[in-house]
Amino acid sequence: MASASTSKYNSHSLENESIKRSSRDGVNQDLTEAVPRLPGETLITDKEVIYICPFNGPIKGRVYITNYRLYLRSLETSEANQLASQFLNYHRFPVAHRPLFAFLNEEKFNVDGWTVYNPVEEYRRQGLPNHHWRITFINKCYELCDTYPALLVVPYRASDDDLRRVATFRSRNRIPVLSWIHPENKTVIVRCSQPLVGMSGKRNKDDEKYLDVIRETNKQISKLTIYDARPSVNAVANKATGGGYESDDAYHNAELFFLDIHNIHVMRESLKKVKDIVYPNVEESHWLSSLESTHWLEHIKLVLTGAIQVADKVSSGKSSVLVHCSDGWDRTAQLTALAMLMLDSFYRSIEGFEILVQKEWISFGHKFASFPTAFEFNEQFLIIILDHLYSCRFGTFLFNCESARERQKVTERTVSLWSLINSNKEKFKNPFYTKEINRVLYPVASMRHLELWVNYYIRWNPRIKQQQPNPVEQRYMELLALRDEYIKRLEELQLANSAKLSDPPTSPSSPSQMMPHVQTHF
Amino acid sequence: MFSLKPPRPTFRSYLLPPPQTDDKINSEPKIKKLEPVLLPGEIVVNEVNFVRKCIATDTSQYDLWGKLICSNFKISFITDDPMPLQKFHYRNLLLGEHDVPLTCIEQIVTVNDHKRKQKVLGPNQKLKFNPTELIIYCKDFRIVRFRFDESGPESAKKVCLAIAHYSQPTDLQLLFAFEYVGKKYHNSANKINGIPSGDGGGGGGNGAGGGSSQKTPLFETYSDWDREIKRTGASGWRVCSINEGYMISTCLPEYFVVPSSLADQDLKIFSHSFVGRRMPLWCWSHSNGSALVRMALIRDARQQRKIDQRICNAITKSHPQRSDVYKSDLDKTLPNIQEVQAAFVKLKQLCVNEPFEETEEKWLSSLENTRWLEYVRAFLKHSAELVYMLESKHLSVVLQEEEGRDLSCCVASLVQVMLDPYFRTIIGFQSLIQKEWVMAGYQFLDRCNHLKRSEKESPLFLLFLDATWQLLEQYPAAFEFSETYLAVLYDSTRISLFGTFLFNSPHQRVKQSTEFAISKNIQLGDEKGLKFPSVWDWSLQFTAKDRTLFHNPFYIGKSTPCVHNGSVKSFKRTKKNYSSTLRGMPSALKNGIISDQELLPRRNSLILKPKPDPPQQTNSQNSDMEPYFREWFSKPVNLHGVILPRVSGTHIKLWKLCYLRWVPEAQISLGGSVTAFHKLSLLADEVDVLSRMLRQQRSDPLEACHGELGQSRMYFRASGPHDTDTSGTPEFLSSSFPFSPVGNLCRRSILGTPLSKFLSGAKIWLSTETLANED
Repeated sequence: MASASTSKYNSHSLENESIKRSSRDGVNQDLTEAVPRLPGETLITDKEVIYICPFNGPIKGRVYITNYRLYLRSLETSEANQLASQFLNYHRFPVAHRPLFAFLNEEKFNVDGWTVYNPVEEYRRQGLPNHHWRITFINKCYELCDTYPALLVVPYRASDDDLRRVATFRSRNRIPVLSWIHPENKTVIVRCSQPLVGMSGKRNKDDEKYLDVIRETNKQISKLTIYDARPSVNAVANKATGGGYESDDAYHNAELFFLDIHNIHVMRESLKKVKDIVYPNVEESHWLSSLESTHWLEHIKLVLTGAIQVADKVSSGKSSVLVHCSDGWDRTAQLTALAMLMLDSFYRSIEGFEILVQKEWISFGHKFASFPTAFEFNEQFLIIILDHLYSCRFGTFLFNCESARERQKVTERTVSLWSLINSNKEKFKNPFYTKEINRVLYPVASMRHLELWVNYYIRWNPRIKQQQPNPVEQRYMELLALRDEYIKRLEELQLANSAKLSDPPTSPSSPSQMMPHVQTHF
Repeated sequence: MFSLKPPRPTFRSYLLPPPQTDDKINSEPKIKKLEPVLLPGEIVVNEVNFVRKCIATDTSQYDLWGKLICSNFKISFITDDPMPLQKFHYRNLLLGEHDVPLTCIEQIVTVNDHKRKQKVLGPNQKLKFNPTELIIYCKDFRIVRFRFDESGPESAKKVCLAIAHYSQPTDLQLLFAFEYVGKKYHNSANKINGIPSGDGGGGGGNGAGGGSSQKTPLFETYSDWDREIKRTGASGWRVCSINEGYMISTCLPEYFVVPSSLADQDLKIFSHSFVGRRMPLWCWSHSNGSALVRMALIRDARQQRKIDQRICNAITKSHPQRSDVYKSDLDKTLPNIQEVQAAFVKLKQLCVNEPFEETEEKWLSSLENTRWLEYVRAFLKHSAELVYMLESKHLSVVLQEEEGRDLSCCVASLVQVMLDPYFRTIIGFQSLIQKEWVMAGYQFLDRCNHLKRSEKESPLFLLFLDATWQLLEQYPAAFEFSETYLAVLYDSTRISLFGTFLFNSPHQRVKQSTEFAISKNIQLGDEKGLKFPSVWDWSLQFTAKDRTLFHNPFYIGKSTPCVHNGSVKSFKRTKKNYSSTLRGMPSALKNGIISDQELLPRRNSLILKPKPDPPQQTNSQNSDMEPYFREWFSKPVNLHGVILPRVSGTHIKLWKLCYLRWVPEAQISLGGSVTAFHKLSLLADEVDVLSRMLRQQRSDPLEACHGELGQSRMYFRASGPHDTDTSGTPEFLSSSFPFSPVGNLCRRSILGTPLSKFLSGAKIWLSTETLANED
């Protein structure tokens, strides 16, 4: 991609570093190089290169490698190249580096994102514990399950010993634990990993009893619904490696459905194909069939359909639901998080979504474009989360589980992504958001409505770029400003007029008071 | 999501055998007369009682009982039962909730499920069995189904045959509009001397809604054309009257605009060489003087070069800079009308007839295979290229097409929508349709296939509305009208009451209606033919309140006042705010407008002689095109200037409101872009009210409560200030709003939760394919 030219500037890195160290808050703007740097970001090396931009052709520039990213700065300043350099500013590749930049990041924000998610508070919001569900600290030191959080919600009637016995029958000891409880009908979403049934079709009385206890917390329906996220073929195949699924014989009071969602490897291949059709050139003449051949939207649809089923079962079907896949951390998280987003309007607010991400782990591929007023956050919010999923600038997405994060003291040594977002919330707000309590969203999981998320997947292509900001949002903001302006003007005029007319009989004092009066006239 | 009400007691007779349905039996028969609501001139041809209208496919629980009538205008189902599960119904004043205009019927299928027979009914056909079921496939993508289990078999049969007969008339004068207008003339003749009263006559058309008193220019008169010349500031062009009384051509309007340098005498001579005598017609002029002109091909091969040269010279002379003429041969550039029709048939098949679930997997490629989006794109793209010629190259553009009355209508209109913000207002858009479609001789009668002679059918007008929708989707603040307006306009082409979309040419209206008037003893006086109601008179179809849905709350009108330091300025000033945003970058190059000519199938009807322009010139013109588009897209857009479409595969979308509104499975309850539309409407309404208050405050504080405060442009209104944030989404909103798929029997139930709708109920209703065809 890039060809190096002269190397005489190579040794300057140390000098540069010392210069940068001197400047402080916010993003540094070094005068000699004009490379914006974060507090804690240091330059490692730089080089003059020619960057072959896939959209605009070769661009002469200088590449800077810091402990956080690779930064290319165009040297050409002619008008024709302004566009290109503007665009190049987006091209900041994070560089794999040890130690991870998140641990060196010295950014300061006025809010601490690490406090956003407090599991006890979140469960309390859901009305937990109650007389059916208790909070247990059995996993305090991660000895029950090293990939589970310390705090778990389990059935009241299941003792800690029961939990330990159930853990032996679940892959990686990931036992069924509560994710969400319906505020009215008290049905629950429970998540776990697959049972260790194996080829011989092993059974475990404790596991069977445990699921029955879960079922009994809901008196409305005599069955527990189990959603196995996998295609049934895969679930069967998993028996060969000791896994499997809950059979009818062993679990009389449960109904099992397979959701046909493919595993991460299949999805990754699919995403690769998406990349192929959008980068560097967007497939032109057969866009729709090419998009179809990636199967990406099909995966989205299946995940969405699965989540709708979970949400519907809980909300309309009044049945408690248990969700698992193989290990219960990829597809299961997708399903539970999406279902919770549909069921619980709290998760559609900015903080609620952060909590959901923090709580359930989420891979988000499709924005809920069908409901433009139901979410507090906008597209930019989702994009920034995805960007920093890979950036290593924040500690939020480092490591695989809570126990590892604790060992590394992530909350003390790194900054949370939520600090960045919550200190600048306005930028991520959807102007159309209408707060609604207890409204379940039922998206239509149909190819007729699914679209590729162009603003995320094809955002680098200047030819495809959609209008930014969204003209509809933009117009709304303008009208809001206009409204405020009018109200201000009205108030001023009324003040002036009431000064002129010493005793106006009907003149109201403010437009807000005046309005209903005016309206009653008609 | 849906409130499942218990089944309503049904209307039934104790005289009849018990039905095989799961309805609860209501032992008390209702003895109440169900009377149809008829328009002037409308007569009931046949009727049948105790008909069941099917609402869902997998249960008869929600079915409605009533009377089915066939009139000379519509089929009407009259019932006392309210529509179940329906939260909103956009009411057309001309039609009852269950009515279908005869001109909207696509196909009539009768079924006898005991004998396992079915028959597609044509006109004047016999039916050898008594139908137990009647299925009406509508042109607007709906499917309506009636059961005759408890009806008199003979009456049921008669109604079916009547519907088949009256919906497929053999003669234009049998269309209801004639009877309706005839009646109006007769009625008014009794009152005032032969002049039809009110709206039925002039057809000037009120504005779409709330308070607009402007009339849509119909371009039937000299003065309308003259005004258009002045409006565009065209110099070098004049209104020509040689076709008065249709003396020259029966497919041209009586008045049209030609280069000033061409004398009437020359035009008369030239006209003989053009197909249909359709000489060059001026459409529009750019402020830089470049003109858009459309004309038919020159038939006379010997004369061709000479006449062509004369015409081009005349157009050049009419250009203030004497710029050259750029010719666009649409027959060679764009899909022909048969191809557009074929695409549309496939699209309809995909959207309506195919089982929802079965088409899911291959939806995207199936959609691509219809080629509909490809064609929409081709028209947009070509029109954008012509915008470049007019706007940037300062060239006059001549659209050439064999007859010049199909593709030209669409391209001429799109070019003007992109270039002239006036045509993005409601009145402007309507005047554009009058100018480039109705008056220019677009063959609505044949293309809409009102007389069911299918070989000439083609949905070019829909394609134009679809392409306009794409622009509206991309530039929501640039249009005064909403997508509801576009959809309703499309629906109006199938109500045979308006003269607007009924004829192949203005001449045909005059000729046919004069004949009709004579046969009915109607005194026409000085009038040229009968005056049919105009579709632009929207008050005939919708209440003032419902018409406000035509207004686009995003629209930034030029006249919208904005207050700055006490003085009112045009909103344009504050647009800086709007335009300071980065509007994306060039969409030209490979993904944008300019790639090599699409490899569309060519129309091979006529071979043209080489164009007078030297080839290098054309090349140089095209090579500048790419930077033009690139630059245009890199700049902030001026919504009161040119707008250009983005035409890559990711930008051209399916117009879901139009094509999927009757599909229950595709409906997003409490969702869809209408929910944002709703919120914005509330805010826009509040701003409107405030601005009016402000104006009145300023003029006289004591009159603050006086005036037009009660009127609103918006359908959704704020009840007071600052309450836009607290009001939730109204329950009746859905992605189909303001339409409702309830009762449309696409395939399956609309009952139950969205999930059960989605997953179960895959039962396909009594498929006609499984039955033996009678013939």
